[in-house]
Amino acid sequence: MSIVLYRVDERLIHGQVVVGWGSQLRPDRYLVVDAAVAASEWEQELYELGVPEGTGVEFWSPEDARGMLSSWDESDLRSVLLARDLDTFLELANGGTLEGKALNVGGLHLREGREEILPYLFLDPSDRDTLRSLESEGLSISAQDLPGSPKVGLEGLLA
Amino acid sequence: MRSIGRTARWSAFFRSFLVQGSWNNRTMIGGGFAFAILPVLKRLNRGDPAGLSEALQRHSEHFNAHPYLSNLALGAASRMEADEHSEEDIRRFKAAVRSPLGGVGDALVWVGWRPATVLAALLLALAGATPAFTVLFFLFAYNVGHLALRLWGFGVGLERGSRVSESIRKAALSKKADRLSGLGVFLMGGVIGSAIGRSWSIDNWPILLLAVVGGVWGLWLGSLVGQKVWRWTFLGVSGAIGLIFLVGWIG
Repeated sequence: MSIVLYRVDERLIHGQVVVGWGSQLRPDRYLVVDAAVAASEWEQELYELGVPEGTGVEFWSPEDARGMLSSWDESDLRSVLLARDLDTFLELANGGTLEGKALNVGGLHLREGREEILPYLFLDPSDRDTLRSLESEGLSISAQDLPGSPKVGLEGLLA
Repeated sequence: MRSIGRTARWSAFFRSFLVQGSWNNRTMIGGGFAFAILPVLKRLNRGDPAGLSEALQRHSEHFNAHPYLSNLALGAASRMEADEHSEEDIRRFKAAVRSPLGGVGDALVWVGWRPATVLAALLLALAGATPAFTVLFFLFAYNVGHLALRLWGFGVGLERGSRVSESIRKAALSKKADRLSGLGVFLMGGVIGSAIGRSWSIDNWPILLLAVVGGVWGLWLGSLVGQKVWRWTFLGVSGAIGLIFLVGWIG
């Protein structure tokens, strides 16, 4: 019960995550898994500003994070794990490491080639393939921007 | 670092007042941001129309932040353009900086500064200031803070570029926001309290009762929050309110 939320969100740490999900789940720390941010000090400093006082934030590359998944999940600290894109999650989940976990798909925004599924969710064909692969790695996937809004299951997203 | 030039800087600053001018759901203040940064981009891409067009495109993308604090991103993005940061760097910077600027800005201005200045003006009105003076006082007080925030943000951004986080942290904006909202709640109690003072002579018991209950509750809540966050303001303002209350009651 210690990674309380796995979320895909292009904006990583922002209001919806910290206020929306954070006030409900009360995490002790945010785990940001992103190759570029893990290597960039100034980006880390900016994201640290978005986290409420008393809550921790750590930045991990996908390779390093893979090795930490089970210890994070067994830890007493409640964590929210965030990644910017679906491919990062596939890198984490490859080989069934996240089997049985729920993946929350938050904000993936408009970009060339993507079409609108929900107001906060735009997918292109390769995103859809990645979602299918994630499902076959045993994750149960649903889209939901905020705790109070309706949850849309994978069938709804790929329809 | 290439020079941005004084004219381009001021032009970008004045244009930033229109940053919400093309607000829409898809790019939010992206269009306004592009409009504001355009003089800087023109200056940096003199004689390079293709470069200018590319730069303008990347700054028209989706962006959002508090309108006043977006000046910090505007300054920093200008500096990053001048320092020839990569396009990807600039995009990532804007993505990372928007949430702290949005969250802190909302707390500081919409929850803190605006109600506090409105309530201070109301308190003046209850103390007998003329309507014209009350309105002018509010407009003046509010905009002193507003302009200071815009100027500070733009300056810090220009100076520090992508390394603005330390300056944001040092400015302790969230703490200031807490203090201001505490002050606001306290002034609210003061306004209700003064209203009771003035309505004391009114021969309408239900309204008076409501005002007494509301005023006591407001003062209690306000002093609680106000005292917790800002002791000296609490003491100063409570003295002033007590005085107004007495004047209203006796006079």
